[in-house]
Amino acid sequence: MSEKAPVQKRSPITVTAKVFHWVNVLSLFIMIASGLQIYNANPVFGGRAGLHFPMVGLLGGWLAGGRHWHFAGMWLFSLNLLWYGIYVLVTRRWRHRYVGQNDIKALQLSHNPKRRIYAWHRIAYTAIIPILLLALLTGIGMYKPAQFHWIVDFFGDWFALRVVHFFTVPAVLIFAVVHSVLALKAGGDRLISSMLFWQPK
Amino acid sequence: MTAEPTPQPPIPDDEGLPRRSFLQIAGYTAFGWIAGATGLTLLESPLNKLFEPVNQKVEELIFRPQKLIPEFPKSAIEPDQLIVNSFRGNPVIDLANFRLEVTGEVEKPLSLSLDAVRQLPYKSMVIRHVCVEGWAAIVEWGGVRLSDILQMAQPKSGARYVYFDSADGYFSSWDLASATHPQTLLAYEKNGAPIPLENGAPLRLASPLKLGYKQSKWVTRILVTNDFLRAPQNQQLMRGYWEDFGYEWYAGL
Repeated sequence: MSEKAPVQKRSPITVTAKVFHWVNVLSLFIMIASGLQIYNANPVFGGRAGLHFPMVGLLGGWLAGGRHWHFAGMWLFSLNLLWYGIYVLVTRRWRHRYVGQNDIKALQLSHNPKRRIYAWHRIAYTAIIPILLLALLTGIGMYKPAQFHWIVDFFGDWFALRVVHFFTVPAVLIFAVVHSVLALKAGGDRLISSMLFWQPK
Repeated sequence: MTAEPTPQPPIPDDEGLPRRSFLQIAGYTAFGWIAGATGLTLLESPLNKLFEPVNQKVEELIFRPQKLIPEFPKSAIEPDQLIVNSFRGNPVIDLANFRLEVTGEVEKPLSLSLDAVRQLPYKSMVIRHVCVEGWAAIVEWGGVRLSDILQMAQPKSGARYVYFDSADGYFSSWDLASATHPQTLLAYEKNGAPIPLENGAPLRLASPLKLGYKQSKWVTRILVTNDFLRAPQNQQLMRGYWEDFGYEWYAGL
């Protein structure tokens, strides 16, 4: 099994995975930075009297500008997720990318720190997928609540829909930090450079 | 299969977190975030010229002119959630001499008194009113179907857009298909009582199909056109008050 191969023998990271990864990073930056700009027009918590995000780092400059970036970025985000999802299914890569019994067992039994990091990392990889899909689903529900009224109904009401959509932001940010730390722990600078399209040296 | 590989000698520099590179990456990310957001903000308007037509195509595709949007029971009404927005406060309207004009590309231009409007078939609905700012409120609206009024006026065959002029100088325009949807009303009641002035009395648009800024208050004139209007002095498109600032024109829900 690939996860038991010696770590020194690095399996090459395909261009496909790199493209997905960096397009995903870019699209999540656009969606979060413009989303918080939209949030400021009427904060989910407290309405107009609620806490606003400082303008530094927000994308769009004003409500309409934030919406313009959000509803352009949504195509980049969702289509990137779609083609990669199809790719992972068709090439059957899903079988060893995500958390499995062996990872749980490794966390309970293994004293190999590297093996434990891999297990944690696969848990993180697996958890982010429902979060990204949830961001998309709640987003569609808020964007088109008349045509997709069943999405709003599924989450209960408008407020619940906004809360869930909003909390995908801290979830993604926490994932980004955990993912970076685990990647650095597991592979250090070598792993970082393996995710680039060129090899610095 | 589940046996652990024999422990190998630890690989140097893999035990702890290389703190310096993590802080470096965090620093680059923060810098890139702020610089990127600032730079890309400058592109919001040209970006929208590219994507608004794409998004509008999709919105028109999922819109079914006669499909009813599910309504709510009266118990779901949220009287405190509806926020009052207007761009320059409440207008003064002389109700005794009030006329609703229906004009433009129609066979029979109309000038209706409030009584004449109230004699048309009554329709009420409990729908979700969604504001571009992100809030929403479940409201009951009562009034007449806009399609009934437009049917009386008989739009000509080339008609595509419907403009709404308000007593306060506000204006907006809709696609004819959304304007003639059975749940697009000219409302004179809110939550079972006559509409208060700040909510658009005596007549306002109400629909589950469009964002709040499309639902003009204090409507005094309905103008049917074949094309978008242009300002006489500089030929700039006139699609609506907020729309001309850059807000989305179709704004379908």
